[in-house]
Amino acid sequence: MAAADKFERMMNLLAALLDAPRPLSAEQIQDRVAGYSTDKEAFRRTFERDKDELRDLGVPIQLAPIPGTFPEQQGYKVDRQRYELPELDLEPDEIAALRLALQTVRVGDPDAHENESTAALWRLGGVDDGSIVDVDDGLAAIPADPRQAVILDAMRDRRVCRFAYPSEEGSALRTVEPWRVGYRRGHWYLTGYDGDREAQRQFRLDRILGEIVVDGPGTFTGPPPETRGEDYRPWDDGSETPVLAVIAVDAAHAAWARETLGEQTVAGTDDRGRTRFMVPITSWPAFRSFLVSFLDHAELLEPPDLRADLVAWLTAIAGSEEP
Amino acid sequence: MSGSLSGRQRLERALAIVPWIASRGGTASIDEVCRRFDIDVEQLQSCLDTVSMVGVYPYTPDALLEVFMEPDHITVNLPEYFTRPLRLTPTQTFGLIAAGRALLALPDADPQGALARAIAKIENSTGVGSAVEIDIDPVPPEVREVLGAAIEAHQRIEIDHYNYNRDIWSTRMVDPWRIQAADGHWYLEGHCHQAADLRRFRIDRIGSVRVLDETFDPPAELPEFTAFAADHSLPTVTLDLAPAAAWVATQYPAEAIERLGDGTVRVTLAVSAPAWLERLLLRVGDDASIVEIDDSLRGTRAAAARRVLQHYLH
Repeated sequence: MAAADKFERMMNLLAALLDAPRPLSAEQIQDRVAGYSTDKEAFRRTFERDKDELRDLGVPIQLAPIPGTFPEQQGYKVDRQRYELPELDLEPDEIAALRLALQTVRVGDPDAHENESTAALWRLGGVDDGSIVDVDDGLAAIPADPRQAVILDAMRDRRVCRFAYPSEEGSALRTVEPWRVGYRRGHWYLTGYDGDREAQRQFRLDRILGEIVVDGPGTFTGPPPETRGEDYRPWDDGSETPVLAVIAVDAAHAAWARETLGEQTVAGTDDRGRTRFMVPITSWPAFRSFLVSFLDHAELLEPPDLRADLVAWLTAIAGSEEP
Repeated sequence: MSGSLSGRQRLERALAIVPWIASRGGTASIDEVCRRFDIDVEQLQSCLDTVSMVGVYPYTPDALLEVFMEPDHITVNLPEYFTRPLRLTPTQTFGLIAAGRALLALPDADPQGALARAIAKIENSTGVGSAVEIDIDPVPPEVREVLGAAIEAHQRIEIDHYNYNRDIWSTRMVDPWRIQAADGHWYLEGHCHQAADLRRFRIDRIGSVRVLDETFDPPAELPEFTAFAADHSLPTVTLDLAPAAAWVATQYPAEAIERLGDGTVRVTLAVSAPAWLERLLLRVGDDASIVEIDDSLRGTRAAAARRVLQHYLH
């Protein structure tokens, strides 16, 4: 009955941490929580594991100074405010609708999605005819990114995020007030206020380099604007003097260009049936990268200096050595 | 679910079941608890037997949780600290909002329906408002309707489809099985007669659909909905990516990724079609250098650059 013993011990630990008026020292936990060994080393090992498992479930176990100790001693506590599910007032049909959404749209890895979704529904009270989430008949899948949860927390607590992000020079540290996260065309984006560029910017989560470092809670105040995030266009995210690029795209490929560049850039059709686009750009390398993904189905018409630069760039590549 | 549950499974259920019964005035029917929380009567009995021994020091009867299992119902009397369920983890909250917002983004979703109300309540409780936006490629309603009707009626169709990787248009005869969304795009999945195999077609790359006067028998069981599988028989290319091009390593399924000291990422990619490699190599330009390339692909980058140059040399 090892599973039952462990379950009982962890429930007792949780009860003690929730009930204690002040942080409990490790010694107090060993003495007063039923189920722990009297051997100090064995207790340590078991307690560390239990603590990790509770945290993994989302139990906010904190380390805090114990009042009245000198030298100051640290103890463990669980803040009930942060432990308890807020009152959501979800109606039964609303919880059932959530179950249907979780069955239809899979977020991330299938097994993790099923487990996390089922556990979430239980915490919300479950559904009368069963709460298991099974995605076999799912309609859609959305990738998960471990940064989503970090950013969601940062948005809630108004924490400024700092992370390295690729730039024209390699990579740059960005300081961002997180406003929204969005999923478009297969990628997750963070939209927020970029303090260094003093403007709203978008960042693809999978291009963020390394960890996101978050500042303390309340490090920004302004409410995010209610406008819906624009599509992210990297050629519009540079620091060059804005120029208007004119391109012509073959008819068979124009729909994709139109969708990516935006309807407002369409500037008619030429005599070869190609669609013309006039695109304001502030990053030539980013726009060139977009343009060449059409291979020979698109042509840069203007401005002449960028056209000359493109020709030189392509000529260099055409003559480059390969191993 | 049958058999005995792990410690974690018991804990997860107990922390939901016990407060749920408390929220019902302290009593609930055993049948309903079993249905809601996917647990059988024996498992529930064993779980609640343990819970009735839980409490705080000194574990005298008044310091324990009171849980009584009667023949058809359960009664609980709990200290206040166990009357609310554990809050959702950030991952769980995100999963709920993302799945809900994705469904609400469909053209036929009801913006005032139960799902919209539920998501609004969850978003409000997290204090992030409607800060998560999901946008799966819109499919023109008429295309969806035609494909949907053909799937329903098991009618064979003919489609004109643009293959982005190979940069060619082709006409395919397809037994349409289902429509699914993955990676932000909608796909038609079905048996392609030209390929004599299962194929997926991105719906936004279907130029036209003709419903044929033939029907087909759909498979008894549709294949599992999975991401595209790696094909190890494909030729490969190994690139050294400067930081500005490091996104390539996460954008495409890589056979191998290695971080070199100076911020350079060395990635080996399988090449499914030459046009795909042409696009990739031109897009990354001088931010990528070719370390190794399969003989069959040698010269791809230079040839692609020369072809694009044709436009500019008249």
